[in-house]
Amino acid sequence: MTYRQIRVIGGKGNAPGQFATSLRCLAVDAHGQLFAGGDSEIKLFDAAGRLKRRWSTSRPVLSLAVAGDGAVYAGQPGQIEIFDGAAKLVNTWRGETLLGRVTAIGFVKDGVLAGDAADRAIRHFDRTGKFRNHIGKHNPVNGFLIPNGVVDFAVDAQGVIHAANPGKHRVERYLPTGELLGHIGRFHGTDPAGFGGCCNPTNVAVRDHIYVTEKAGPRAKVYDFNGNLQAVVASAPFDPNCKNMSVAVDGRGLVYVADTVKLAVFVFEPVTV
Amino acid sequence: MMRAREFVQPPGVGQAILPADTLSSVSRRQMESRRQPGLAAPQRLLLLLLSLFLAFAPTLPAQSIPYSRPVETAPQAETIGGGYKTPAVQKPLPRDAYLQMLDVLLLAAAMGISVWLVIKRRSRKWAVALTIGSLAYFGFYREGCVCPIGSIQNVALALTDRTYAIPMVVTATFFLPLVIALFFGRAFCGGVCALGAIQELVLLKPVRVPPRLDRALGLLKYVYLGLAIFLAIKPALGRDFLICRFDPFVGFFRRTGAPHMLLLGGGFLLLGMFVGRPYCRYLCPYGGLLAWCTRLARRGVTITPDKELDCGLCAEACPYGAIEHMRAVRKDCLYCARCYASCPRDGELAHTKAELVHLS
Amino acid sequence: MSEPVTRRDLLHQVVRGGVLATFGGGAIFLVQKAHGQVVWQVDASRCINSRLGDTGAEACKLCTTECVVALSAVRAVNEYSKCGRCNICPAYFNITSAVDAQGLPSEKLCPRDAIARKPIGKADPEDPANNFYEYSIDEEKCDGCGKCVMKCKEPLGLGSIVLRVRYDKCEDCNRCAISRACPKDALIQVPVEQALRPPELHPRTE
Repeated sequence: MTYRQIRVIGGKGNAPGQFATSLRCLAVDAHGQLFAGGDSEIKLFDAAGRLKRRWSTSRPVLSLAVAGDGAVYAGQPGQIEIFDGAAKLVNTWRGETLLGRVTAIGFVKDGVLAGDAADRAIRHFDRTGKFRNHIGKHNPVNGFLIPNGVVDFAVDAQGVIHAANPGKHRVERYLPTGELLGHIGRFHGTDPAGFGGCCNPTNVAVRDHIYVTEKAGPRAKVYDFNGNLQAVVASAPFDPNCKNMSVAVDGRGLVYVADTVKLAVFVFEPVTV
Repeated sequence: MMRAREFVQPPGVGQAILPADTLSSVSRRQMESRRQPGLAAPQRLLLLLLSLFLAFAPTLPAQSIPYSRPVETAPQAETIGGGYKTPAVQKPLPRDAYLQMLDVLLLAAAMGISVWLVIKRRSRKWAVALTIGSLAYFGFYREGCVCPIGSIQNVALALTDRTYAIPMVVTATFFLPLVIALFFGRAFCGGVCALGAIQELVLLKPVRVPPRLDRALGLLKYVYLGLAIFLAIKPALGRDFLICRFDPFVGFFRRTGAPHMLLLGGGFLLLGMFVGRPYCRYLCPYGGLLAWCTRLARRGVTITPDKELDCGLCAEACPYGAIEHMRAVRKDCLYCARCYASCPRDGELAHTKAELVHLS
Repeated sequence: MSEPVTRRDLLHQVVRGGVLATFGGGAIFLVQKAHGQVVWQVDASRCINSRLGDTGAEACKLCTTECVVALSAVRAVNEYSKCGRCNICPAYFNITSAVDAQGLPSEKLCPRDAIARKPIGKADPEDPANNFYEYSIDEEKCDGCGKCVMKCKEPLGLGSIVLRVRYDKCEDCNRCAISRACPKDALIQVPVEQALRPPELHPRTE
């Protein structure tokens, strides 16, 4: 399997469809629409990459997720803002201790998951925002090893949480109850099948495969659920100083990667030979 | 020569050298909050002056760096747990103020002792001992810093550049030997200067430099002095510290250095085995200043013509051509006390003879 | 036995007095404006080994080669509070060397073996990936070559290792030999207090 770049969305600038200072997070909904967060703003691009809507958040957006009902959850420092499909703010969950810095949001059957990078753990809430349990917190190092400053995870169709643990060079599998099921990945400095550097992968997305991004040198890769490398999506387009590149996959198999220095979303399409 | 510590008045640095962000208002606040009670008086004074400066320093715009870390991501001691304490980062302090003062006191003391040993005691033996001691401390232990020779440049710069300042230690190091020279001659050259000492000790078999050549070469040091001051007081970018840069012996003191400088130093030492202290006599810019001050000296090495004995042994013994017509040329006298040592009527030799006579 | 005071002696005394007064005046002038000791320090935001954006370049070794002090007065220091305490530290390991049985790179990066590593916190002896590590630099071994600094900087590391002037070694030359050679003018003179605080490499924006 190989990938080719089909589109670049955004870029650094002050135009409505561009990002002025930051691009931190991506999410795609069931219709292939792309939500991109940065500059304390959420931008909605349609499936063809045209800007459809943009609205502000009260704090810088660190993470985005779209629920099954079309509600948009925006993770921020100290809070999660929930918008309805029309970009109207419907709720705000606040909590300095449980939501220190929300760098990832996901959904399981009856709950909401939030990755708190300030405490290096994933929080499990019910749909009303009531705290249930920690995920990934109870280990010798008291959480995920994230020198990169981002807890990122994705939830697969079975409700299993795939969380990046960059300091261990692993993507770990957890149940929503917090039980560790296993992991994929190992360190390797030269083999593309391994994760290089001090702490990789930084970000993860899941659909039929596990999609990850790495920093230094930046690249996006695809693994199957057994940890076998399927493809290197790309590495050349990204700025070498990129780090914590958010990744998202839509139903068509398109891979969206946010370049945090160029402030652009690179869209890749799988090519079947 | 040895490099004098260089001290710059901070506002000038801020404008000329510092990048804007190192003086940002945030860091200034941090610095001030870092001040701790219970510091020694000089440090407190330093901090007071520093904070005064900081209060009035112009606010400089922060330099934009394209990448920034949004939050502190490194795990801290409390999250690491297990009783771990973050160790202090190793950062030794600059030499303490009292140690710097000690250098000045030692400099003054060594010059005093030199005057006493040479003029009062007329003892070559002890003068050599002092020379060795000075070489060991100012040369090899302090590695040639601070020294009056290099401080010429700093003083010249501090006098001309409004934004440049030198600490009191350097001021004292520069003026003390000159003041001593005004009264007693070049005591610094004889007993204290490490550069002089290393040459003094290698002098093996001095040859007499023809007086005319000696005088002509002696003018070189004034050219060097002028050039060094000229380069030192140029604006910051074109500025150069010639004396420090071409110090021939500092490489030996530091046991390391550029090969060509070590070679130059070796050359001077080799030459110095036959020509007495060539660097001091022909190149040392500070020697030039000392020579001028010495012209006004009230006292110094004195050769008293003897009614009965005009042997001229002293003039023979002087490797620096500083005895002419049975008279000491004080501006050229480097306080080595060889003349006294060689005198049959005075100094150690005379005393020894007298004792022998007495015993027999 | 008092010598008769000649006109020449008198003249000398007057001139000497004048010279002394000049010296005194100069000294007072210099002392009055003398405040704030400044020292040489490496500006981490300029040094190519630590400033951001120079990813992948070879480490600049001029601090090692140019300094007049044996081994150089510039050493690498690890600002512990900024260190990520990674298991696989790119400044400690040569991360592109072959991976050994434990899953760690087999070679170290430092050519002088000056960096030491030890597990801290609740150490897990079974799994090296389950620990925090403290990396300390032996300043007596370090020659300030900057290889580790280059590898520690973002985005590969956190930029906790920087080059710093060590004041017990620095001769405080009038014109620092490294500053003469430094292509980025990263050797600057700063007030002592400022030189001793941790470098602000990455200003925090949020």
